[in-house]
Amino acid sequence: MRLKSRFGPFGYIGIFVLLTIYFMPARVFGADAGNCLVCHKYPGLSRVDENGEMRLLFVNEEIHNKGVHGKVKCEGCHTDITKIPHEPAKPVDCLVLCHIIEPTSEQKFSHKSVATSLEDSVHSKKGKDGKEKPFSEDMPTCKDCHDDPLFRPLAFVKKVRPGVAEDALGRCRVCHTQEEFITRFYNHITTRLHKSRSPLNIAESCARCHDDPELVARHNLSTSAGGSYGQTFHGKAANLLDESVPDCLDCHVPKGKSVHQMYENKDPRATTHKDNRGKICNSVDCHPGASADFANYKVHAEFDKKSNPVIYWFTTFFIVLTGGTLLPLMAILFLDLLRRLFPNASFSRRKEK
Amino acid sequence: MKRYPAIKRKDGKKYFFRFDLDQRIQHIILALTVIILVLTGMPLKFSDASWAPYLYTIFGGSKMAPTIHKITGAIMLILFVYHVIRVISQIVTKQILPLKKEGKMSVGRVSMILVKQPMIPNMKDAYDIIGLMKYLLYFTTVRPDGDEFTWKEKFDYWAPFWGMFVIGLTGLVIWNKVLATQVIPGELINLCLIAHSDEALLAALFLFIWHWYNVHFSTSVFPMGTVFLTGYLPEDLMAEEHYEHYVRVMKQEGLEDEILPPHGGHKPFCGKPLSDENSPSTTTDAEQPNDTMQQGGISS
Repeated sequence: MRLKSRFGPFGYIGIFVLLTIYFMPARVFGADAGNCLVCHKYPGLSRVDENGEMRLLFVNEEIHNKGVHGKVKCEGCHTDITKIPHEPAKPVDCLVLCHIIEPTSEQKFSHKSVATSLEDSVHSKKGKDGKEKPFSEDMPTCKDCHDDPLFRPLAFVKKVRPGVAEDALGRCRVCHTQEEFITRFYNHITTRLHKSRSPLNIAESCARCHDDPELVARHNLSTSAGGSYGQTFHGKAANLLDESVPDCLDCHVPKGKSVHQMYENKDPRATTHKDNRGKICNSVDCHPGASADFANYKVHAEFDKKSNPVIYWFTTFFIVLTGGTLLPLMAILFLDLLRRLFPNASFSRRKEK
Repeated sequence: MKRYPAIKRKDGKKYFFRFDLDQRIQHIILALTVIILVLTGMPLKFSDASWAPYLYTIFGGSKMAPTIHKITGAIMLILFVYHVIRVISQIVTKQILPLKKEGKMSVGRVSMILVKQPMIPNMKDAYDIIGLMKYLLYFTTVRPDGDEFTWKEKFDYWAPFWGMFVIGLTGLVIWNKVLATQVIPGELINLCLIAHSDEALLAALFLFIWHWYNVHFSTSVFPMGTVFLTGYLPEDLMAEEHYEHYVRVMKQEGLEDEILPPHGGHKPFCGKPLSDENSPSTTTDAEQPNDTMQQGGISS
């Protein structure tokens, strides 16, 4: 009765809420404080949007919780949703101020600084003059490259298999007590230390735009970058799942900078600027001692008469040579097989033996 | 140096000398290195093919396979250099030096010696190709009589010769790219890669289709010509492919009476003698294993 007298009718609601929480399955506690999974847990939950496109609205809780944003509440990113049921949600803006406090600055965390570097890079929507680039809508935003489940934890400390290394966690536990914190920050830090994707994975990510013939043509790019990379030894080894070969980022991201700070060839900050090219190739980890001429190797050589006449005609020579050698020989081979079936057949009358 | 008799007799059959031991060993090393190089190289050329990672893994993946490829390539290059030195030294010691001793050295005579080398193509090869085309297109039933080395064998010799030169040279450049680009421009590496892999594909297809057809799969030698192991070619095959040379050798050995008649066209599968009718003879599969008719094994 004290309950009633102190809190009025809210006391009963409180008990009801507590009971509900008590009987809720344990896993719902993760990120779903807003109870979004009440609806979104159903596989197949989907609708056709205004553009006639099918939108899958199902959230795979297991995958989400394992991802880097597993601890972020749904409404932390979907800020426009304040009540259930909700209006069609707007696309997530990755630059919102997160509810997470960044431990070194004790400020609320935001990805804004990433956006600042991206705006300064070759992938910016705006040109050098500050004006909107033509077809700026083609320029990548966060979600074009970042798709959580691709990231995987580091596999070092006497361990070749990817996954959380128990021995490494032991080192965290010396100071940090909260198990949750240890795993999450271990993942957070190691994904950033490691090449978090395989070279093939990176090349495929970039190729989603850079091999799209429409985009290549529209932006006047000199190459289908993924395709021509695949013709190099680096790309071929990447195709064969070698993880030690350089991918797009190893050459195009300036040393010590992040992927968001790539610049166009003419920019003196760009690694691909003609004065800097040699320095990428002859780094200690790659081809030490390589001359500046070495870097003139055409990594993105296209089989194209206009842009690469030498390569075009050289390749054509070998195609003609191969065809010119093999086709006549195959014809002889085929005729020979056929002739053996009819050894005595002839158009002309056989001469005397 | 060991003397090889021109004709060996075994179980009453005659076998004709073709290749000495040194040549046979060279051929086996070449064949083995080619196969290993193709197996470790093609997964790279076709790296996006579904089979490529599996084949590459068999050779130790990208950690091991390139090393195997380079070592094997080096062996092949050493073989190439050895072969060239041997051929040149034999021409010099056996043909040019004796000429010098006799005091008959002249530019004309030396160039004649070089042109007359067994592997140098000549007019007979051109006529033989025309003759073969006539035969294959049913204008005649007589196949051309081959000399000691037919145009096919010369082709099988010069194709890998050129191939080894191109692939070997470009391979060395790619292998030592950092060193090479101290001298040559980086753009040349692109061309080396194209030449290396395209020429390799041509060589592989040439050998595994054309050469293997001639020495393994053709109905006259199936399942395998043995001359590359024994160095001696059975008489019937000798007569089929190298009739001119066959007659010459038989006469040299004083065996004029035993010379087989000219072969005409291909012999029918079942071993019946050539009939005068223009009708193909019927074939029965069961008789084939006992078929002694084999065509000359062509070996480069």
